[in-house]
Amino acid sequence: MNTSTAADVICHLDKGGLPFKDNTFDQIRGEHIIEHVADIIKTMEEFHRITKPGGTIFLATPHYTDYSSFRDPTHRWHLNTSSFLYFYPGGMHGRDMWYTKVRMLERRNYVSLLRLWRALGFEYLVNHSKVFRQFWEHYLSFIIRGKLMEFTFEVIK
Amino acid sequence: MPLILDIGCGRKKFPGSIGIDMSSAGEADVLCDWEKTLPFRDSSFDTVRLVHIIEEVDNIFRVLGEVHRVAKPGARVTIITPHYTDHASYCSPAHRWHLSSFSLWFFSDKPAEYDYYAPANFKERRVTVETLRLWRTFGIQFMINHFRWFRKFWEYYLSFIFRGKTVEWDLEVIK
Repeated sequence: MNTSTAADVICHLDKGGLPFKDNTFDQIRGEHIIEHVADIIKTMEEFHRITKPGGTIFLATPHYTDYSSFRDPTHRWHLNTSSFLYFYPGGMHGRDMWYTKVRMLERRNYVSLLRLWRALGFEYLVNHSKVFRQFWEHYLSFIIRGKLMEFTFEVIK
Repeated sequence: MPLILDIGCGRKKFPGSIGIDMSSAGEADVLCDWEKTLPFRDSSFDTVRLVHIIEEVDNIFRVLGEVHRVAKPGARVTIITPHYTDHASYCSPAHRWHLSSFSLWFFSDKPAEYDYYAPANFKERRVTVETLRLWRTFGIQFMINHFRWFRKFWEYYLSFIFRGKTVEWDLEVIK
């Protein structure tokens, strides 16, 4: 939306969506953008609309325990590794969530930690054990703080 | 029969209540965009419930102002929301606000410099914090809920270690 960027298309995502036809792209990349939008659910629905069936959506966004989540006054949302469960089939304890109808599969969900915790092996544990990931989110993440989350979703239509 | 209003009732409407929601996927009796105005007359309800909804609304002050309007004098308002130190506060892409057990103090304490924030009057009858299971075992939850000074100390110094889960308010409507 800002003309001083390298954008090929200037538009306002929050007002009127993206000016592309349905099923246009093989991949959408949203790096450090989802935490800025006015409505995450509507934005993901718009990404889903313009992605081909089987195409992917890549998102990178700060974990809410990283200082960068609070450094920018234009960050509206503070997210964690479970923030997109509403879009997965059976994402809410085995049931579908009714906030949105669009569905996607989580192909990758990687969280990097601050360098010190990576050196001590916590980043490996958080990304290789689902049990440890949950324990970390519930009990440890204000001490062993997160940094960047990278998600890849596969669009289902 | 006491009239109960369940705002943002979703699929777990409180038994015997009138449910209001924006989504037709739930059990709502009244379907509308209720965030700016509740479609009820003044002083209609004996109890109003907002369970896991206050963290999603556009404007908390406006919604609680409307709750105050449609509630009878002396009515009770129950609000349940994630504590901001729980991972559940960050799990939903619809959660706009991350709240603590003192987030509604504007409505009851009426701090002199900020009393214009919240014209509606509520009396805070009880605030209950639920913590993660491990900390409940250690008695932290008991301390938080039985001593207001400890709750304050916990919010200031301890809550990133002994993390919270949910906060529940029992408010009385003062008119």
